[in-house]
Amino acid sequence: MVQGITGKIIQDHADGRKEGAYLSVKVDFILLHDPTFALILPELKASGEEIWDRTKVLLTVDHFAPPSSTERANMVKEVLSFAVGKKLPHLSIYQGICHQLLVEGPWLKPGQLILGADSHTVTGGALGCLATGLGSTDILYSLITGKTWLRPPEVVRINFRGNLPPYLMGKDIILDLLGRYGEGGFLYQAMEFFDTDEAISMDDRFAICNMVVEGGAKNGLFMPDRVTEEFLIERDNGLNSSFQRFDEELTYSKKIEMDLSQLKPKIALPHSPAKVVDVEEVDGEPIDTIFIGSCTGGRLRDIEVVSTLLKGRKIAQGVNLLVCPASQKIYLQAIEKDYLTTLIEAGGVVLNPSCGPCGGIDKGILAKDERCLSTSNRNFQGRMGDPSSKVFLSSPLTAAASALTGRIVDPREVM
Amino acid sequence: MALPEIISGQVWTLGPHVNTDLLHPPSHFTPDEKKMREGIEEGILRLGGKVKKEGPEVGWIIVAGENFGCGSSRETSARGLLAFGVKGVVAYSFARIFMRSLINLGIPVFECREIQEHVRNGEMIRILMREGWIETQDSKRFSFSEMDLHFKKILEVGGLLHYLRRERHGL
Ligand code: SF4
Repeated sequence: MVQGITGKIIQDHADGRKEGAYLSVKVDFILLHDPTFALILPELKASGEEIWDRTKVLLTVDHFAPPSSTERANMVKEVLSFAVGKKLPHLSIYQGICHQLLVEGPWLKPGQLILGADSHTVTGGALGCLATGLGSTDILYSLITGKTWLRPPEVVRINFRGNLPPYLMGKDIILDLLGRYGEGGFLYQAMEFFDTDEAISMDDRFAICNMVVEGGAKNGLFMPDRVTEEFLIERDNGLNSSFQRFDEELTYSKKIEMDLSQLKPKIALPHSPAKVVDVEEVDGEPIDTIFIGSCTGGRLRDIEVVSTLLKGRKIAQGVNLLVCPASQKIYLQAIEKDYLTTLIEAGGVVLNPSCGPCGGIDKGILAKDERCLSTSNRNFQGRMGDPSSKVFLSSPLTAAASALTGRIVDPREVM
Repeated sequence: MALPEIISGQVWTLGPHVNTDLLHPPSHFTPDEKKMREGIEEGILRLGGKVKKEGPEVGWIIVAGENFGCGSSRETSARGLLAFGVKGVVAYSFARIFMRSLINLGIPVFECREIQEHVRNGEMIRILMREGWIETQDSKRFSFSEMDLHFKKILEVGGLLHYLRRERHGL
């Protein structure tokens, strides 16, 4: 018997073909971005095949946005000329990070099956769908056929209880889980989150789902509830209030209970997102650069809490504070709400919405021995720059608090 | 192109949780096959430079620990390994996207939890598909978990693109 909502979604999308433990399933939507699509573009062209349904594909240029070398500029040019030539209806150039654009658009709904040519496609699971990342060749298969092969996974249910105290964010929750279960703790499994008290905002849910892949999970998914409904209504101007509901009679391989009020701010130490301790344990560690952005930590709520904390204050001398809104929409909202003025006055620098420093792509690449506190999802050695650089991962709130002193600080100390 | 009965190669050992950013640093992302290989060479240096950059004629068999290939889905890591002459990958366990990418490119993967302590970099090993075991240079044998039928079907035709072609055109 299949487990969880994930199992039901796979079953609902199955076309009847089975090979070993794998089922052939229909796909509702596919996310592509510049580098991973560039890899398969020559193969797609050579195959003579067409994309099965152009209306079900979002192509973003967000990694090389704008490109920082001629090789990358050529990749972007190739990708764009293909997209324009094929009249792809959903094309997004330099508008923000693909995972944010995917959830801002009108496409994702509970119960759907979503694929992306990027491991953090799992972010979309916050909307109650099965969203998972695949390598480029797998995506090429799906672009042509509208299908993929999936194995119904074991599913772990995580029950959150209580309210989220003001010093905690979604990031602390997922770091806590990663710290307790390890980098391979949820390998091949799905994680399904039940927010019993509807205490976690959608932006925090995105951050939680975003990092399930750091525990090895196939996907992470929030049981759709009122928070989901409100998000969808607002997103689609009231048009999308009906969606698939799931009953509570679901089977799970394991259950984890979490009392949110008991949690402390968490931080991942270099070089693993699962090497997690309480922030207070590393209090005082010096930091050179603070990066607030990425598909984990550059949403409006992230920028809001950072700006609230830094209002009327100045960051420590010698600290680089880089803030990168996850999309142009968030950028505009942050301007309207004056958050960016506050951040600039505090001494921060605002980057254009893109991946940027997160994957060491451009803008803010780390120097030899540089120490960075980042709100992104991965602190693997050398990912953000020089192999000798060190990256800590925390919530935007902890990152902002640390910007004030240039040392790692528990946000409770400065709030 | 059928899956060979015996895959042999020189061992390249890797520890647990080796992620794709280490194996193929993001700064080396490229669609160019030759440069992809250079990314793997950089990865080898970052992983401690334990194997030579010039591959052996026979090719490599990676023997890795838990959760091999975790992290980014950038397929340049798997494509780089192919360009580097990797013939097969044995691991305690695999990160799922990376495992699928290897198979999709026609590189067979084997889950084996005992062999890690018993092989050294540079020794020759053989994977005997039909018998279901891996034989080390000093003739120790370790069995691997049976490969899923779906993966076998992809590997038997040489990768996912060939599988797709057959599915669509019966070639
Ligand atoms: S922000 Fe970072 S983790 Fe997210 S898609 Fe971009 S490079 Fe990947």
